[in-house]
Amino acid sequence: MTAISKHNNRESFLNRVASSLGRERAYNVKRPDIKGMIPDSYGTLTSDDLINILKEQCFFIHTQLIESTPELLQKTLDDLIAANGGGPVMTSGDPRFNRYELSIPDSSVWTEASGREGNIRRAEAANTAIIFADYVLAESGTVVIESRPDQGRSLHFLPEHYIAVIEKERIVLRSTQAAADLNRRIEAGEPVGSSINFISGPSNSADIEMQLVVGVHGPLRATYVLI
Amino acid sequence: MSLKTDNREFGERTADGIGNAFMRSAVSSAQDSLKTRRLTAATALGDWEAWRVVGQTIRQHTLQNLDFYLNQLADNIEAKGGQIYFAATKEEASSYIRDVVVSKQARKIVKSKSMVTEEIEMNKVLLEAGCDLIETDLGEYILQIDDWDPPSHIVAPALHKDRNQIKRVFTEKLGYTGDESPEKLARHAREVLRQKFLEADVGITGCNFAVANMGAINLVTNEGNGDLTAAIPKTQIAVMGMERIVPTMEEMEVLDNLLCRSAVGQKLTSYITVMGPKAAGESDGPEEFHLVVVDNGRSEILGSEFNEALQCIRCGACLNVCPIYRHIGGHAYGSIYPGPIGAVITPLLGGYDDYKELPFASSLCGACTDVCPVKIPLHEQLIMHRQNIVKEKRTGAAERFQMKAAGRLLSSPSMFGKVLRLANPGSRMMSKHGRIVRGPGLIQGWVGVRDLNQPVKQADSFRTWMKERQGGTQQ
Repeated sequence: MTAISKHNNRESFLNRVASSLGRERAYNVKRPDIKGMIPDSYGTLTSDDLINILKEQCFFIHTQLIESTPELLQKTLDDLIAANGGGPVMTSGDPRFNRYELSIPDSSVWTEASGREGNIRRAEAANTAIIFADYVLAESGTVVIESRPDQGRSLHFLPEHYIAVIEKERIVLRSTQAAADLNRRIEAGEPVGSSINFISGPSNSADIEMQLVVGVHGPLRATYVLI
Repeated sequence: MSLKTDNREFGERTADGIGNAFMRSAVSSAQDSLKTRRLTAATALGDWEAWRVVGQTIRQHTLQNLDFYLNQLADNIEAKGGQIYFAATKEEASSYIRDVVVSKQARKIVKSKSMVTEEIEMNKVLLEAGCDLIETDLGEYILQIDDWDPPSHIVAPALHKDRNQIKRVFTEKLGYTGDESPEKLARHAREVLRQKFLEADVGITGCNFAVANMGAINLVTNEGNGDLTAAIPKTQIAVMGMERIVPTMEEMEVLDNLLCRSAVGQKLTSYITVMGPKAAGESDGPEEFHLVVVDNGRSEILGSEFNEALQCIRCGACLNVCPIYRHIGGHAYGSIYPGPIGAVITPLLGGYDDYKELPFASSLCGACTDVCPVKIPLHEQLIMHRQNIVKEKRTGAAERFQMKAAGRLLSSPSMFGKVLRLANPGSRMMSKHGRIVRGPGLIQGWVGVRDLNQPVKQADSFRTWMKERQGGTQQ
């Protein structure tokens, strides 16, 4: 890559930018306090309010929301997998699968040991993906997850059916709260995944005559299981 | 494709658009649906005007400190093992990308939607280098297999085509045997492109916003192709206009909300991803990550009277409310950036020589300015362009003569009064049933498409009426 890096002209580029702005280069900039500017149109919300907002939004994003419990979770997932034509299933290696004592038949797990080819091949072959959400955004019906050694990026995109398990206490109102928490972690120097995904329902497109088609390159169907 | 999508004169291009009944009905129904969806989503957010102010504040702050944030971005990308390349011109940008692809001995490339790659003519350069490049956004894919038909909308590039046209292209080029239902067409594209994702050596994406303190890029999509492009190939090249950057995820979150609601009326699109080079221990994502930052004329806009145009987040809301876009369609602009924002930035990026007509393709109604989520004064910028174009004497000689004559006439009350008295008898030859039907210069242009009443007789004029009523002597 030496031939390419030789061309790197960051300094001259940034000097030109500064000169367009009519000043010397800036090295110390404080970002504006936007938190105080963002209007709050919801007021105080209870956990039940958040669940209701989430439920309503799931309707708009063509996502089925199933209310379950930690005890019933195994059965709910079994039923869902069967309803979607069975396996193969691929899950993340999230420790919560063990914590809730789940055992998914005909399934594989995304692991570091399986490597790039192995994981992608299994994800592509899988009919259903199951993951646990890190944050859930009620307003937009979004699950937030990070890439990790036990949870790759393509797991969320290759299988036809996508199941996200949502623990009630992970629900926040909107992207504002999730972004603030993620940014706090980043500024504290904590590691975050190389891909942070905000996923709101199945893939879709309106590129043909503005008519909505649900299911394009990513999953054709999405289900959230609330526990 | 380059910035320029059509070599014909502006008049020919617009006549083509106005004469294309299918395109016009497709555009107007798309506009109506997108307009309504935007309004619903904006209203649902609560105090939309306050949100716009936040959006504007973020964009202006970032532009004012652009060198700082780009430098921070570069440091953070390099710290994560990625590479960042600053390209002053489109040639530098596309040859860097070609060099990376050649050095990887890559032939198979999948690409997700990116306007700036069009601007730098990247596809042309990579195809000439012998690459097999596939656009994976459904709309862009349709245009590619239809012999690289140019896009006509920033967000919905194949807006000008109907399902039957698309089915015909799929049948001819892909051996598609299904019917014209959008769902079946989309499924077919899914099957064809799924294989392409799995085989690709390199993925090329755009970048909605780079996040400076993370050394990452943010993609806002619906189809899932952007994420597959970034997840599966071992090398990712992302391309961004240099102004598309935010300090942190907190600012990104605000702009993504404004973008999704303004562009398609969704609260958030299906996939909003912040991504960078694959981290240690992770299995997929790019082992080699390149970010190409493109100037290509932007530094001349920065700090100029058109500085605010760089606030644009490419949502396309201004296209969806524009009465001119509605009638002439996206192709008539002759640029990959159509509509009001296109009429502002295309002359800045491509020069007045080729694009002096675009700032006049506006009724100056200001609907674009009202919907812009980051408060770019679009119609005022169009007026500034017009002033520059007139100052540089780029309007035609006949128009300059007429404008000069009108200027003298309107600045002299006595001459104006005399002409008013002559207006009715003078226009008699040009009129029929009280309407002017033909005339010289600008008048012909107007009456070709609009009614123009014949001026009334002196005895019936407002001035005469007022004088009589007041019994006074006012002129």
